[in-house]
Amino acid sequence: MMRVMASEFIKIRRKMILFLVFLGPIGVIGLEAVNFGIRYDWLTGVYKDDLWRGLIGEVAMLSIPTILIGLTILTSMIANIEHQTNAWKQLLALPISKTKVFTGKFLLSVLLLFLSCLLLASGTVLLGLLLKFGTNIPFLYLFKMCFFPCLASLPFIAVQTWLAITIKNQAIPLTLGIIGAIVSMYSMNFPDWVPLKWPLLLNDWDKPIYSVLAGLVTGILLYFMSLIDFNRRDVK
Amino acid sequence: MSDFIIETSRLTKKFGSRKVVDHVDLKVKKGEIYGFLGPNGAGKTTTIRMLLGLARPTKGSIQIFGKDIRKEKLAILKKVGSLVEYPSYYGHLSAYENLEAVRILLDVPKSRIDEVLSIVRLTNDAKRPVKGFSLGMKQRLGIATALLGNPELLILDEPTNGLDPSGIIEIRELIKSMPKEHGITIVVSSHLLSEIDQMATQVGIISKGRMIFQDSISTLRAQSTSKIKLTVNDVESAWKTLLTHGYTTDLSQNNLFIENGSDEKVAEIVKSLVQNDYSIYRVEEERKSLEEIFLELTGKEGGL
Repeated sequence: MMRVMASEFIKIRRKMILFLVFLGPIGVIGLEAVNFGIRYDWLTGVYKDDLWRGLIGEVAMLSIPTILIGLTILTSMIANIEHQTNAWKQLLALPISKTKVFTGKFLLSVLLLFLSCLLLASGTVLLGLLLKFGTNIPFLYLFKMCFFPCLASLPFIAVQTWLAITIKNQAIPLTLGIIGAIVSMYSMNFPDWVPLKWPLLLNDWDKPIYSVLAGLVTGILLYFMSLIDFNRRDVK
Repeated sequence: MSDFIIETSRLTKKFGSRKVVDHVDLKVKKGEIYGFLGPNGAGKTTTIRMLLGLARPTKGSIQIFGKDIRKEKLAILKKVGSLVEYPSYYGHLSAYENLEAVRILLDVPKSRIDEVLSIVRLTNDAKRPVKGFSLGMKQRLGIATALLGNPELLILDEPTNGLDPSGIIEIRELIKSMPKEHGITIVVSSHLLSEIDQMATQVGIISKGRMIFQDSISTLRAQSTSKIKLTVNDVESAWKTLLTHGYTTDLSQNNLFIENGSDEKVAEIVKSLVQNDYSIYRVEEERKSLEEIFLELTGKEGGL
């Protein structure tokens, strides 16, 4: 499996994929910098009890649609590396199981998304320090708010990976993914069982971890279902 | 264990209700260059995809190196190199990086990359992005990729498709040298008989999903019966004269043809023509070309 991942990392060289991984968090932090820059007095008034929590909350709100759009583009680009010259037939005629190939693509998306979240967390700290919010940083809360939405989005990573790999025309997974991201922005009032609501970490029990667990379980389940489907398919 | 490297038995693939490959018994011996021949859409690529485990047979079995592909696919693929149709490559990467991405998966030493690059003579272009390569170079890179894992069996689907004549010759020489230098068994498919004729030792001809001929290339050549063509001045009267002397010849296109004539018979006919004062311009042997045999074989199945 290590070899599969090493090979995947070679393939994304010079592909703008890493650029995208940086662009997402930089964009979110940049927008928040503008947000706090323009409305500094008002926002520090609203969050005067805990400036850091206020900043992290604002960042997390903006990061959710970014994560969903980002993972859509990411999975599509990763799959498209093979679609472009129909390299699937070469890749799958190698002595590597289809399970490993699919898992490699899925894992690569997860890893890159985590890297984005890590950058987002570091960017938030940097912005907070620049805004002179002090050094009393609530790190646990910060990591929760940066990584939980990502973990709760696991079902979407699985579905988008599967769509991007099985459908050669990338317009379809891209369209579906972007529609999903837009709908998720209005999902606050959806019932709790709707997966699009999970990245928002809102539920009736006020326990974000429930949304994360639902995402993880469903995500792993969907991963296995996609895997079975991928194994069953003939290679084009 | 049989001495066949590849042995399929009643291999069948259906797309919907259409049989694309129909009860094919492919048999390839060690050290052969097996030419897999058939018109476009005959089922060559589908058969090859099944051999590589890319497509699942509807019916029938495939044994490669004496192992069943359904049970030991990865063990088989470890010893197989392949190039299916147009080459697959990662355009944004250099030739070297392309090979490295595959090398890691095959777990062979890094030095192997330089070896295969020199076999296909791409060493000087190894650092350039592949998207700037010509089709011939891409095809050679494809062959290099196929050779990377030191395969015992090389499966090449239409390796000369779309290449210019010098590229075709280059690839052909490369393929011909493999069994001698590296002891590799090769399956090469093509829709061009002349192509196969110049490389293969064994031939399998497939048409409409069915294997219609499978034997050595010399057996195929032996099917080409020869005729002796005579060009003389007054053809019609020459034909009549020969008939009165008891020799039957075919008269067509202002030439006389002698079918299955022994050397003595040809000599006698020539002698009697000379004695009857006919001018003989040419006496030549006409062999049915392999192309015609191929058309005859596939033509029976309803034409190309």
